[in-house]
Amino acid sequence: MYKEKLKKINDYEWILPKTVRKEMKVDGKLIANKAIYDAMDDGAIQQLSNVCCLPGVIEPVIALPDAHFGYGLPMGAVAAFDAEQGVISSGLCGFDINCGINSIRTNLTYNEVKDKLKELVPALFNAVPCGVGSKGKLRLQSNELDEVLVNGCEWAVEKGYGVKEDLKHIEENGKMDGADPSKVSDLAKKRGCPQLGTLGAGNHFLEIQKVSDIYDEEKAKEMGIKDKDQVLIMLHCGSRGFGHQVASDYLKIQEKAVQKYNIWLPDRQLACAPANSQEGQDYFAAMKCAVNYSFTNRLVMTQWIRETFEKVFGKSWESMDMHTVYGICHNVVKLEEHTVNGEKKKLFVHRKGATRSFPGQPVLLAGSMGTASYILKGTDIAMQKSFGSSAHGAGRAMSRHGALRQFRGNEIQRELAEKGIVSKATSPKSLAEEAPKAYKDVESVIDSVHGSGISLKVVRMEPIGVMKG
Amino acid sequence: MKYKFIDEIKSDVMFEAYGKNLKEVFANAAEAMFSVICQLDKVKAKEAEEFEVKGEDAESLMINWLQSLIAIVDVEEKFFSKFEIVKIDETCLRAKCYGESIRPELGGTVVKAVTMYKYKFEKNEKGYKVRVSLDI
Repeated sequence: MYKEKLKKINDYEWILPKTVRKEMKVDGKLIANKAIYDAMDDGAIQQLSNVCCLPGVIEPVIALPDAHFGYGLPMGAVAAFDAEQGVISSGLCGFDINCGINSIRTNLTYNEVKDKLKELVPALFNAVPCGVGSKGKLRLQSNELDEVLVNGCEWAVEKGYGVKEDLKHIEENGKMDGADPSKVSDLAKKRGCPQLGTLGAGNHFLEIQKVSDIYDEEKAKEMGIKDKDQVLIMLHCGSRGFGHQVASDYLKIQEKAVQKYNIWLPDRQLACAPANSQEGQDYFAAMKCAVNYSFTNRLVMTQWIRETFEKVFGKSWESMDMHTVYGICHNVVKLEEHTVNGEKKKLFVHRKGATRSFPGQPVLLAGSMGTASYILKGTDIAMQKSFGSSAHGAGRAMSRHGALRQFRGNEIQRELAEKGIVSKATSPKSLAEEAPKAYKDVESVIDSVHGSGISLKVVRMEPIGVMKG
Repeated sequence: MKYKFIDEIKSDVMFEAYGKNLKEVFANAAEAMFSVICQLDKVKAKEAEEFEVKGEDAESLMINWLQSLIAIVDVEEKFFSKFEIVKIDETCLRAKCYGESIRPELGGTVVKAVTMYKYKFEKNEKGYKVRVSLDI
């Protein structure tokens, strides 16, 4: 049992000392309040200890309050590695590269929108392709796809999806430099061509929200959020089949690299390669392609959302102030500079189910369907405690099959309707799988990140319209 | 029994598939996975895709087979409901998969990948058994 070996150091931080296991090179850390700690599964903490064993790992490996058992690393965690002595791991980044969130504001109020929701939600459902194998409206040729992979959102803006202003409010300005399409398999490209501009399924969603609370008026104003009841939009999706294929391809390549470079792994799913090896650098260059694909995917859909609002409300999107509040990655590897023991060091920071939380940067945290979401801001404390990272969502508490046994899609839809939330999904099953009660309580997650100081509350939103793949 | 789902992982799906020979266990594992991807009983087996998959051994052949099927859904934009293993040995298989062009209303959920979590391929007195976890 690993969880019982966690040592409480204050109300929000728990240390897993490296002495609990001889292979651990560094301590692990859990950021959680008591409620989250109590509900945390032992498997996630064991996975945390596994990552503490990898070469060149920097103390501490962090489980965030939304952590749940994942593949290799818990979903909801951060692991940083020395840029020279460490590893780059496709296993740690996971299958949905740059799964992430964009938040878009409007200047509309809840009162202006609520009577239109029954028109708006189905209209969005038509405009944004979703579900398994959802067919995109773009259908790129392979040379065009390469441009997307290299230039990310700059390609989108050039083609009229989004505007330059959007780029300023997306992590990495919507384009990671150094993406190399020649490091991506043909199969990944074939999967990527028809799917740009599609939402996908599972926990991906498009949500219309109203502001319920503002905690930091100045910061909120900076983001264009001024009033309670102001309507915002949240879009959660990733790099689709393209990113899944890049991840699957490099897991195989890095599994071989593990043998080649004689790396001891406590879990096969932590496939990795030395940071400066071909297998490490090739993955990094291919991963960046998937990151750029995903940034572009969300911006293309953002433009379709704007066009849908234009049709429903009969006004231009600019006059509704529908600008990007911020766009962030959840699953990513970044080369960043951090202070380690008083010394500046370059690190490969792996965020899996985690968001960047640099000082002042908006941090978007999605609740489960039907519950609140938050915009927070990054802090200096995050730089000191969590390699500039914070939580990404509520985190699952129940399996999908468990949820399907316990909930019925039609009932979930009715319960949402009773709360005034209009919902639409490709099938009732996907509503049941994502039932709000299948997730941890988002308020405890927020208390943990705010209380520990790794990100601070700015705005709370409640859903009024939900669309699921 | 062709396959059954196991309620073990919070965010994802785990199943076991069985077969008295290699052909059966491969076909049944594919069917289990497609029961997650689409509504198997409603997808008509009207068009066939034929292809070959290779592996280093039966264990890796199964992973490659399932991963190929996930990719084919995106590339051919089809759902499949019937799987016929035409030829198989431990390192290579040829399969015919029957299905139809994707109709979104027949969709289930996106399977992102086949993972190595508790993956097990075994031969027993009844034939073969495989345990697979899917990231969805």
